[in-house]
Amino acid sequence: MRSSSSTAAAATISTTNKGVNPVIAFEHKRDAYGFAVRPQHMQRYREYANIYKEEEEERSDRWNDFLERQAESAQLPVNGRPSEEGKETSHAAEDGDSELKKGTESDDLCERKSGSDNLSENDTEEEKVQSAPEKKVHRIQIWTEIRPSLRAIEDMISVRVKKKGILSKDEQKTSQGKPLTPTEDARSPKGASEEDSDDEFYDAERSDPVQDSPTSGSGSTRTGGGADDAAPTESLFPWKEELEVLVRGGVPMALRGELWQAFVGVRARRVENYYQDLLANETSCGNNTEQQSLQSDSKGSTTESIDGPEKWKGQIEKDLPRTFPGHPALDDDGRNALRRLLTAYARHNPSVGYCQAMNFFAAFLLLLMPEENAFWTLMGIIDDYFDGYYSEEMIESQVDQLVFEELVRERFPKLVNHLDYLGVQVAWVTGPWFLSIFMNMLPWESVLRVWDVLLYEGNRVMLFRTALALMELYGPALVTTKDAGDAVTLLQSLAGSTFDSSQLVLTACMGYQNVNEKRLHDLREKHRSAVIAAVEERSKGLQAWRDSQGLASKLYNFKQDPKSMIMETNKTKANGDLSHSESGSTNSDEVLISLTGDVDTGAVPDLQEQVVWLKVELCRLLEEKRSAILRSEELETALMEMVKQDNRRQLSARVEQLEQEVAELRMALSEKQEQENAMLQVLMRVEQDQRVTEDARRFAEQDAAAQRYAVQVLQEKYEEATASLAEMEKRVVMAESMLEATLQYQSGQSKVQPSPRSSHPDSSARSNQEPQQEIPARKISILSRPFGLGWRDRNKGKPGNVDGSNDGKPSNEGQNTEIQQKDTNDKETNGKDTNEKELNGKDTDDKGTNDIEGQHKE
Amino acid sequence: MCCVPQVLLGDVGTGKSSLVLRFVRGQFVEFQESTIGAAFFSQTLAVDDATVKFEIWDTAGQERYHSLAPMYYRGAAAAIIVYDITNLVISTNVKLGNKALKLWDSLNIPATFLSSCSDFCASFERAKRWIEELKAQGNSDMVMALAGNKADLLDSKNVETEEAKTYAQENGLFFVETSAKTSSNVNNIFYEIAKRIPRVQPSQNPAGMVLMDRSAEQTARASCCSY
Repeated sequence: MRSSSSTAAAATISTTNKGVNPVIAFEHKRDAYGFAVRPQHMQRYREYANIYKEEEEERSDRWNDFLERQAESAQLPVNGRPSEEGKETSHAAEDGDSELKKGTESDDLCERKSGSDNLSENDTEEEKVQSAPEKKVHRIQIWTEIRPSLRAIEDMISVRVKKKGILSKDEQKTSQGKPLTPTEDARSPKGASEEDSDDEFYDAERSDPVQDSPTSGSGSTRTGGGADDAAPTESLFPWKEELEVLVRGGVPMALRGELWQAFVGVRARRVENYYQDLLANETSCGNNTEQQSLQSDSKGSTTESIDGPEKWKGQIEKDLPRTFPGHPALDDDGRNALRRLLTAYARHNPSVGYCQAMNFFAAFLLLLMPEENAFWTLMGIIDDYFDGYYSEEMIESQVDQLVFEELVRERFPKLVNHLDYLGVQVAWVTGPWFLSIFMNMLPWESVLRVWDVLLYEGNRVMLFRTALALMELYGPALVTTKDAGDAVTLLQSLAGSTFDSSQLVLTACMGYQNVNEKRLHDLREKHRSAVIAAVEERSKGLQAWRDSQGLASKLYNFKQDPKSMIMETNKTKANGDLSHSESGSTNSDEVLISLTGDVDTGAVPDLQEQVVWLKVELCRLLEEKRSAILRSEELETALMEMVKQDNRRQLSARVEQLEQEVAELRMALSEKQEQENAMLQVLMRVEQDQRVTEDARRFAEQDAAAQRYAVQVLQEKYEEATASLAEMEKRVVMAESMLEATLQYQSGQSKVQPSPRSSHPDSSARSNQEPQQEIPARKISILSRPFGLGWRDRNKGKPGNVDGSNDGKPSNEGQNTEIQQKDTNDKETNGKDTNEKELNGKDTDDKGTNDIEGQHKE
Repeated sequence: MCCVPQVLLGDVGTGKSSLVLRFVRGQFVEFQESTIGAAFFSQTLAVDDATVKFEIWDTAGQERYHSLAPMYYRGAAAAIIVYDITNLVISTNVKLGNKALKLWDSLNIPATFLSSCSDFCASFERAKRWIEELKAQGNSDMVMALAGNKADLLDSKNVETEEAKTYAQENGLFFVETSAKTSSNVNNIFYEIAKRIPRVQPSQNPAGMVLMDRSAEQTARASCCSY
């Protein structure tokens, strides 16, 4: 379709070779899409450029695969298409695929764009163009169907678009201020422009039911059909989930323009010739802009009241060079296309007209697709996705900010607390994000990825998710900032360096799935009334202010025009109350009359005007007073709130402190307990030890007692033994003396006469034994001398010996010495004998005398 | 250091962003991208023996973005209202009818620009409205400056300058003609604002503040001159 005006079309889209716009003084570094990269981000962009390239290759493979499978499955059901069309489809599908492969080879958008233009359209469209080349010399017709391989996706979306269209149409019945829908508007030009050959072509090509709605009359007749179509959506498109994953992974650059059109549902929205007719309006009103401006110039200040899209002209004109300045594709032709696009939209939807930001969107779309396609895409985005966003009061935009703030408050309470503390409103930064749909706020790759998902989903959910993801990514850094300026600067610059587009999109899509359209819808409902009320109040207040100011300025002019005298009177009036002003006005009247009769006539209505003004002033003052009271109340509540908040903060701080102390104390306590336990253990051990030693002591004592007892027993025995010894000694002495006496008697008898035995006084028993012992007595006598001497000696030293020692050793020794003296050979045996004698002393006691006597006798 | 939250207001294409960029980065481009919503900049300036940190919100000029402006100007301690002096000249000269045509030639204004003035949106009128709104709804002791930008395009000695001057005087603002392109008076205007910012902030709060904004302003003020 680029046909007759192919030069313009090609220029719009494929202006790679042309140099940089000469007007541009500064040349920035540009990325692969031709957009300027800020110098501070250049380094990071370079780092990511390769990653982007790899990602791009990967995703174009995946999309290729997906679309091939798509095409295969599409072959099976014929869909009731005309055979002619089916042929074309397969032909173009091949074309598209080869294109896609080709596209991935080069990074540059513009190059690729030109490539696709050359490849796909030339053969398929030349014939149609030929049929009506002359008729459309002045028409700018730039329209391309998207490649048929994407048709399935388009069909899926068009169900959604149609549903929405029906909904909005229903709404329209109640409210008249809505933008005119192309479907209705187009019917009249349809009939009128029958000669246009393009109609037939497109009508033939439209085979799916969606396209019937514009051709078969008013769309509302299909209300029932819409409901029917909605149900089988899921079953008809089993690959929907796969597609969603693919979209989140990014759309390949070669397909982006066409896929976006499919997502927005351009084909379902499009009405033949609508765009051309919008543009044609201009030429009928005034042939060129210059002339028109001159016309309005001559009218002077009334130009401001010009209605319709023409009032946007100036603003559009101003913004044309201010849209991506220096972008290589936006040369004069590109900017002309941009102008047409924006103007057409302003005419299409006068309730929105032209809003700054649309210039960026439009230019951006023009880089990706032909002009009319861009128009329908833009229309879809602004009228549908962003309905109420860019209109005069921007109500939906404000509502969204409140909704977003609530979401952030819920998700990141710590961050919001910090920002509150710094006095930063989230909306300060996120407002521009939302309004620009992140354009110029994020690196381009990220913008494109966000748009991919946003356009696919068909609502503004992705805006919220992306913004939340950014808050998640940069919240921790923001919390460290110390003042409002730093926080805003940091957030701006961090967002501007979000080069990791995959991370951003995945965080947004995966992390915030509970932020969905339904939830947003509910939240919007909740906040909308407040926004509308605020807007109304503000506009009312401003209106009142402006009205009074208007009068005041009139007065101002008035006082400048006549004379300075009146100015004074005016001033006095402005100060005082009504009565005062009246006197003033009479004064001024007098002055005026006295000055000139000419002014007189003019002064009376002026004075009336002044009275009116004063009344207005009074009203205004009353109004002000009321609003002041309201404000004071507001302030009071705000103060209370602040105090409460402050208290809460203090309390929470205190609680925190106390909790910390408690924790510390608990720690100390547990430590103490541990120590106590240890001490107890030690004590127990000590006790045990003590018990053991006590036992040992007791045993020792017992031992000692036993030993003492033994000693005592021994001593007793020893004493007994010594006593018996002493007795035996006595007896020995006695026996000795008796023996001596006997010996003396015997010797006396043997010398003289043996004396009679009966004469012995001491014992008769001995005397009885004497005759028997006569012979051994001689022997004893020989031995007795030394023996007898020993015993006498021993008796002399005896008392000292017994006292000195308890045991019998000394006595043994003593005995031994004695025995040594007696017989050195029998030393040991004798010792033993004496010991035995001592131990058995008791037993021997009784017989002692006899034994000794017997020993002695032996 | 003293933080001055500041806002720039004015009609579309009067050069608000260019003024800020000249002040903050010392740059100028012939075609500055249109501002969507608002953009934030900060810059410090030594005034006398103090350092002043400007926290500047550069707002979008289009009329409908008006509804967002209160968010930015409510907490501001200073405002620069910018108008385009060439615009003013044209709007006044239009009243003269055909004579205007000759004047345009002498002004050396690009043709596209002329057509862009088709509606003569009269940025000066818009500036007046901003001033009125700030007086009505803004911070009561806000320091306001009126900047007639694009002075490089015109001979500054013309009648219209007088009109702006008197208007500024009557409304208690100070008036400067600036040029972001040649950077004339750009630093000056910020310097003047810094000098006029009251050093000892009054404890009384301005009327008409809702809670959020007041706290915003308070923190801004609390930080002022306190460190």
